[in-house]
Amino acid sequence: MRRLSYSLIGLPLGLLGLLYVAVTVLAGSVLSLTAIGLPFLAAGVRGARLLGRLHHGLARRLLGVTSIGPAPPRRSSGFTDWVKVGLTDRAGWQAVVYLILKAPIGLLAAAISIFFYGYGLAALSYPVWWRFIPAQPDKTGVPRSGLPLPGDIFLDTWTLALLASVVGAAMLLAGPMVLQVVLSLDRLAIAGLLGPGTLRDRVRELEQTRAFAVQDSAAALRRIERDLHDGAQARLVAMAMNLGAAKEQLDQSGADPKALELVDYAHRDAKEALVELRNLARGIHPPILDNGLDDALATLVARSRVPVDLTVSLTERPAQAVESIAYYCVAELLTNVAKHSRADRAAISVDQRDGALHLRVADHGQGGAEPRGGLAGLAERVRTVDGRLAISSPAGGPTIVTVELPCAS
Amino acid sequence: MRIVIAEDAAVLRDGMSHVLTLRGHEVAAAVATADDLLTAVAEHRPDVAIADIRMPPTHTDEGLRAAITIRRDHPETGVLVFSQYIETRYAADLLAGGAQKVGYLLKDRVADVGDFIDALTRVAAGGTVLDPDVVTQMFAVTRRADGLRDLTDREHDVLALMAEGRSNTAIAEQLSLAGTSVEKHITRIFSKLRLEATTSSHRRVLAVLHYLRS
Repeated sequence: MRRLSYSLIGLPLGLLGLLYVAVTVLAGSVLSLTAIGLPFLAAGVRGARLLGRLHHGLARRLLGVTSIGPAPPRRSSGFTDWVKVGLTDRAGWQAVVYLILKAPIGLLAAAISIFFYGYGLAALSYPVWWRFIPAQPDKTGVPRSGLPLPGDIFLDTWTLALLASVVGAAMLLAGPMVLQVVLSLDRLAIAGLLGPGTLRDRVRELEQTRAFAVQDSAAALRRIERDLHDGAQARLVAMAMNLGAAKEQLDQSGADPKALELVDYAHRDAKEALVELRNLARGIHPPILDNGLDDALATLVARSRVPVDLTVSLTERPAQAVESIAYYCVAELLTNVAKHSRADRAAISVDQRDGALHLRVADHGQGGAEPRGGLAGLAERVRTVDGRLAISSPAGGPTIVTVELPCAS
Repeated sequence: MRIVIAEDAAVLRDGMSHVLTLRGHEVAAAVATADDLLTAVAEHRPDVAIADIRMPPTHTDEGLRAAITIRRDHPETGVLVFSQYIETRYAADLLAGGAQKVGYLLKDRVADVGDFIDALTRVAAGGTVLDPDVVTQMFAVTRRADGLRDLTDREHDVLALMAEGRSNTAIAEQLSLAGTSVEKHITRIFSKLRLEATTSSHRRVLAVLHYLRS
């Protein structure tokens, strides 16, 4: 029944689609000699994409097609880009082709539906209504009842009526199968033209959305840190200062020692809260990173318990997310050097070549570092931007960890 | 003291103005940006300017850059710089123009109002005030620098207090030492750092700068 409705809806929709393509694409191509041609054509292709989505949605509903539609077109910036995206939208052009193919397929499907189901039903029920057909004269002028068939045959006996009924039943039974064949052509066209596109398209789309997610979370963390700094931290400092002033005031005015003690507690708590909040905020996003990776690494190294030789040479500023991952890599690796390596020196070098940021953290410690725990977590983090982390740490050292982070803009 | 405050968080700016006024100091101006700070210092010629390092528009180090400008253009004004985090690089930049009339403290330190005003007074009077955290971090750096490595733990302690801008008497008090033994420690520090004998206060600054730079 669903297939039947699909076929019947498909006919007007298919013809409409063909008309749409004929008008927009052809007119657009002709108009492309003028200024409005290309925008018109771009709008046409985008519209075809929408019609394609309508067809795809219908097929999902009524034919049980399970594929998902193509990814939405890239978001455009400005009118020219909008035209360009529209004209180069592969999925849009595929939808145009589908709309052209859909017209004959739809016509065929509708014809078969009408023939098999319509005639089948009529034939099946023939014994019920043949008696009501007014008599008509045959070739020899004898009035005959029943339906005339080509070749001067009249279905005017109960035997023939029952036979018609059997044929009708057979047609109704065969209908779905024949329809299936035609519709499988449609399915093929939908899969090929309205589906999610090639695997490569899908991979590219996933890469883009992941890159966006990674960048977005880096920006969000930065915002949170800044909000903490401007909001809660500033307020807490002001509060601690006022409590400090109150404490001194109470102390000098010889107030109730119990009150003084309480204010003293509150003052100390406020100061501890400040320390905790500062450590938390720094863990979220070290603000020195806003000055650039080289400054941030310099202060990281300055805080390290193991002396570090640091060389940084950056030709251009990497994306925020890459900077932040690089920073946390160096922080974690330096902690590891201090905790496990027993080395008395470490060397860090950072440089950019072949569209990637290369980090190298080396020490002449005891070696034996394994890609577990913190190091494994670091490798996972590096992979979120398609980076790579490699560890070389034979027993007895040296330990060399290299991290490669793509930063092509 | 006549003071100019630059701090972008209104709650803290107003709080500092209030506390300083209560303690009998004159807050000539309280502003929210580095540009306004420079204008206010030029106009009011304060004894000391207080600057938050991180201010709009970029929220990175405009306060520090303003402080360095003030030190260059208005050497008579002391500068006390505050920041949420201690960054050794900032301390080194700030002290590159000499260690007089300058201070660098963690923002939390204003919570101890007495110490805060004491630091302001010392800076206005020409002293150096460095946050204990700066000193701790410097030690991490300087322990490995040549010469500094030879210092004993006690000499490190003395040097740390010197870097905070304390006088010999204050150092002696803090470390429960006799004044003469503090002097002996300082002489040994100077010789280990190979600082030629000029005026003692000048050598003091050099000793402090020695770790800041290394």
